[in-house]
Amino acid sequence: MKNLSPDFLKKYDVSFFLGMTAIFFFGVLNLYSATYNHATESLFRSQIFWFFIAIFIGFIISFIHPKTLFRYSYHIYFFNLIALLAVLILGKVGMGAQRWLAIGPLRVQPSEFMKIALIFALAKWFAKNSSFEETRIKNIIIPSALTIIPAILIMAQPDLGTGGILVLIFAVIVYYRKLQWSSIIKIALIGLISGWFMYKFALKDYQRKRIQTFINPYQDAKGSGYNAIQSEIAIGSGRLFGKGYKKSSQASLNFLPENHTDFVFSIFSEEHGLFGASLLLSLYTVILLRFNWLARSVKSMYESVFCVGLMSLFFWHTFINIGMVSGLLPIVGLPLPLMSYGGSSLLTFGIAMGLATSISNYRSIF
Amino acid sequence: MFAEEEVVKSHSERGKQISLLVVGMMGLLFARLCYLQVFKGEILHQYSVKNRLREEVIWAPRGKIYSRNRELIVDNNPRFDIVVTRQYLQDRKETLTKLSEIIDVPYESISATLKKYQMEPKYKPIIVKKDVLFQDLAMVETLSDTLPGISVQISIARNYIDTEVGAHLLGYISEINNTQLPKYRKRDNVDYRLGDFIGQSGIEQQYDSVLRGVNGLEYVEVDALGRKRKYINTDNLFQGIEDIDSKPGNSMVLTIDRDLQKVAYDSLGDRSGGVVAIDVESGEILTYVSTPAFRPSEFNRGIDPEYWKSLINNIDRPLRDKVIQEHYSPGSTFKVVTAITALAEGVINGSTEVHCTGALRFGRRNYHCWKRGGHGYVNLTKAIRESCNVFFQKAALNLDIDQIAHYASLLGLGKKTGISLPRETSGLIPTKEWKQKSRGEEWQKGETLSCAIGQSYILTTPLQMAVAYAALSNGGKVFKPYLVKEIFDINNKTLKEFTPEVISELSLPEDIVKKIKKGLYEVVNRKGGTAYYLRDYGTKLAGKTGTSQVIRAKAKDVYQKCEDMPYEYRHHGVFAGFAPVDNPKIAIAAIVEHGCHGSTAAAPIVQKIATKFMKKYHPEEYEKKSDDEGNLL
Repeated sequence: MKNLSPDFLKKYDVSFFLGMTAIFFFGVLNLYSATYNHATESLFRSQIFWFFIAIFIGFIISFIHPKTLFRYSYHIYFFNLIALLAVLILGKVGMGAQRWLAIGPLRVQPSEFMKIALIFALAKWFAKNSSFEETRIKNIIIPSALTIIPAILIMAQPDLGTGGILVLIFAVIVYYRKLQWSSIIKIALIGLISGWFMYKFALKDYQRKRIQTFINPYQDAKGSGYNAIQSEIAIGSGRLFGKGYKKSSQASLNFLPENHTDFVFSIFSEEHGLFGASLLLSLYTVILLRFNWLARSVKSMYESVFCVGLMSLFFWHTFINIGMVSGLLPIVGLPLPLMSYGGSSLLTFGIAMGLATSISNYRSIF
Repeated sequence: MFAEEEVVKSHSERGKQISLLVVGMMGLLFARLCYLQVFKGEILHQYSVKNRLREEVIWAPRGKIYSRNRELIVDNNPRFDIVVTRQYLQDRKETLTKLSEIIDVPYESISATLKKYQMEPKYKPIIVKKDVLFQDLAMVETLSDTLPGISVQISIARNYIDTEVGAHLLGYISEINNTQLPKYRKRDNVDYRLGDFIGQSGIEQQYDSVLRGVNGLEYVEVDALGRKRKYINTDNLFQGIEDIDSKPGNSMVLTIDRDLQKVAYDSLGDRSGGVVAIDVESGEILTYVSTPAFRPSEFNRGIDPEYWKSLINNIDRPLRDKVIQEHYSPGSTFKVVTAITALAEGVINGSTEVHCTGALRFGRRNYHCWKRGGHGYVNLTKAIRESCNVFFQKAALNLDIDQIAHYASLLGLGKKTGISLPRETSGLIPTKEWKQKSRGEEWQKGETLSCAIGQSYILTTPLQMAVAYAALSNGGKVFKPYLVKEIFDINNKTLKEFTPEVISELSLPEDIVKKIKKGLYEVVNRKGGTAYYLRDYGTKLAGKTGTSQVIRAKAKDVYQKCEDMPYEYRHHGVFAGFAPVDNPKIAIAAIVEHGCHGSTAAAPIVQKIATKFMKKYHPEEYEKKSDDEGNLL
C-alpha cells in the first residue's frame, strides 16, 4: 500500500477533480432549473447518481500507474474497436438504436469510450515513435488509420459529431507531435480536394443531402435552424446579469428542445447572463490550461501526448457545444462536458479526470 | 529516461501554441457571448418577453383509398377538440366554470382531466372534450378572447366509410409510440415525431409511406395569452426561417369491390370467420372480410379503454385477420389436392372405382368416412361430390406424403402467398423431412391418410385456398394475390400501376382438370352433392365443402352431433370454390369458425358472393343456365 502512504497522498493532485466538481455543481443546479416542472424533472437526481459513479471510477483510476496504462493501451483500444463493430452488427440485426450495446441491465455506448481509447492508442504509438525530429506525413499513416477506422464506424451509426471529435483529437495530437507545416498544408489540401470529389461523385443523393443539412441546418425541415435561433434568443435575453435562477422563459415554455442535453448552456446564459457565462468559460479554460501544463511537465512522451489528447477531448466538446448553441457552428448534437445530462458523457469525463490525476500523481515517483 | 524527458521538452513550443489557440478560441466564444448578450441583448430580451415564435406542425393529409370502381372507402375528416393550455390560464376557476357550461362537461371532470396530466409541461394543450359539435365550437371560438387558455384544436381523423367492413384489410392508424419512434426513424429514414400518425395494421401499415405524405412546418407568434397569429417575417434575426408546406400523401385504388365486401360482411353476420375472393385470371382480390371486425376509426386518437377491453376479451379475436393471419386445417377442401396428386402420379384414373363401407382399416385403426354405412361404389366425381373419405384415403395408400406436399406446394399451399399485407402466416404442408426436423420422429403412413383428407398437420389460410382453387380453375396458373391496382398523387397523376404476377405454373392435363371440376360442380348442383341445397344453375358455382376439426375427435365421438358440443369445441365450416364452372372468373374461400359444417355455414356465403359477382359483372353469362348434369363441361 505504498500508494496510500501519507507522503503519496500529500502529493495527490486534486485539481482535476476539484474543477470537475465545480463545473458539475453549476451543471446540476442548471439542470434542475431546466427540467423542473417538466416531465423530465427526475433527471437531475439520476445526474447526481451518475456523477458519484463517475468520480468514484475516476478516483480508482487515479491510482493506476501510468506504466500499467501504457502496457494495456492497445488492448483497451482494440477491445473498444470490437465493441464498436458489435454495436454496428447487432444494431443492424435488431433494427434498434445502434449506439447502444446491452450487457445485462447496462447499456453501454462504445462510441463514447472510443474517444478515450483512441487517446490511449495514439499516446502509445507516439511514445514509441517520437524524437526531436519533426513529424512527416509518412510517419503518421498508422495513427491516421487508428483514428479513421473507429471514426468511420461511429459515423456509420450514424453519429457525425462523435466521429468528428476523434479526427479533431488526432489533429491536435499530431500538431503537438511537431507535424511539419508543409505537411499540414498538404494534408489540408488533399483533404479538401478528395472531400470535394467524394461529395461530387462517390456519394449517393441522400448522403449528400445529409451533409448539406449538416453544413446548413437552416435548410433542414427538422427545424434545427429554429432551435439555433431560439437558443440565441435565450442567451441574448440573459444580457449582463441574467434573468435569475429558474427564471428562464425560453426553457420553461419549451422553446428550446433538448434543453437538458445539448442546450444547457443557453439556459445557463439566460439565467446568469454574460457574468455567469464568462465565469463558466473561465472555469473551463483553467481546466484546459491545467491539462496543457501537465503535458509539458511530465517526463515521458506517452504521458505528455496523453494529456494533450485528454485536453483536446475536453476542449472540442466545450468549444463545439457552446459554439453551436450560440450560433457560431451548426447544430451537431454534442454534449457540454459535465453540464449536459447523460451518464455516459459524465463517465467519460470522470475517467479522463482520473487518468490526468494519475499522470500528475506519479510524475515525480518512479 | 533522461533523453525522453528532453524529447518532451522539445515539444513545449508546440504545447504553448496549443494553449494559446485554446485561449484564443475560448475568447472567440466570449466575444460571441458579448455580441449576443450586450450588443444584441436588448433586442433579444424583448423577443423573449413579447414575441414567442412557435413552431407548429402542419399535418399532411393522408392519401385516400378507393374501391376498384373508384368509390371512396377511406377518407379524412376534420375533428375538433376543446383543449386547455394551463400556461395561459388566468383565473383558473372562473375560466373552467365558464367552459364547463359551454361544452356541457362538469367542472369536476375537467379538473380531474387536468389533474391527470399535471406532470406534463404547462405549454402542452390538454384535450378536455373530444369531437365537439359545431355550435360548441363556434361558442368557444368567439369566446376565446375572454377565455384565455382555452382553444380549439383541429385534427384530421381517418374516416372509414364502411366502418367495420374490411377493417382488417384496411387496417388502422394511430400515434407512433415511444418504442416505435427510434425503430421507424431508422427504418424509414424519416424524422418522425411524437404525435405523428402511422399505419399500424393492414393497408394503412403496408403502404404507410405511400399514404402518409410529408408534414410541413409553420411559424406562428403566440402572445402572452396563448393567442396565435401568423408570423410575418420582418426581423432579420429570423432570416432563413420559412414555413415548409406539407406534402399530401398519395391515394390508391384497390382491387376490392365494395358491394361484394358488403355481401360477405352481411352474410358472415355475427359469426366469426373470414372470406376472400380473387379474380382467377389476375390474382386481384375482390373481397376480403374477417369477422368479428373492429371500427378502425376508434384507434385514431387514443382508443377508448372500454372498447379496447371489449375487443381483447372477445373469444372470437376481432383483432385477428382470419384471412391471412390464422391458419386452419382445410378439411375436405384439401381433397382436390389429393385427387390431383393421385391422378398425376397415376395411382387412380378417371374410371377408378372404390367400395366405401364407411371406414377404411389401416394398421390397428379404422379411418371413418363421415357417412355411417358408407357410400357404396364410388368413382372420382362421386367421391368429390359426396366427399367420400375412403376413396381419397385408399388412393393415399399408394401415395407418399412428399408427393402430396409437392403438388400442394405448387398450388401455393403451406407458404406465404406474398400478398402485400403485414403479418401473413404461412400455414403448413408437412413432409417427411419436416417431421423429422421439427419432431424428431419418422413419418407414419397413417398420417398420410389423415393428410389426404386435409387433416393432421396440414394448415392453410383461407387466402391460400382461394389462390389454389383459382389455379385449379384457370388451368394451373398460381397468381400472387394483390390488393392495390393503382397509386396516384394529389394531382391525379398515376404513379404506379400494379399488374398480375404468376408465381408458379402447374401443368395439369386437361382431362384431369375436367374430371375434378365436374365433381366440384356437382357438389353444389347435383343431387347428392354436399351443398346441393344451394344449387343455382346461373351462378354455376363449383366448390368443395370441408370441416376443420378444432379438437381431434375420439373414435366414439366421430358421429356426435357437432351442434351439441360446447361452442369453442365445434368444428369450423369451410368452403372453397370458383364460378362459373365453364368459364371461371372468381375463386372464393370462406371459413366460419365453430360453424360445424362447410355446407351449412361457409358454402352459402360463397354462393351469395359468387351470385352477386355474376349478376354485377357478367349478367349475360348468368342468364345462360346449365342443367343439373353439369352439361356445360
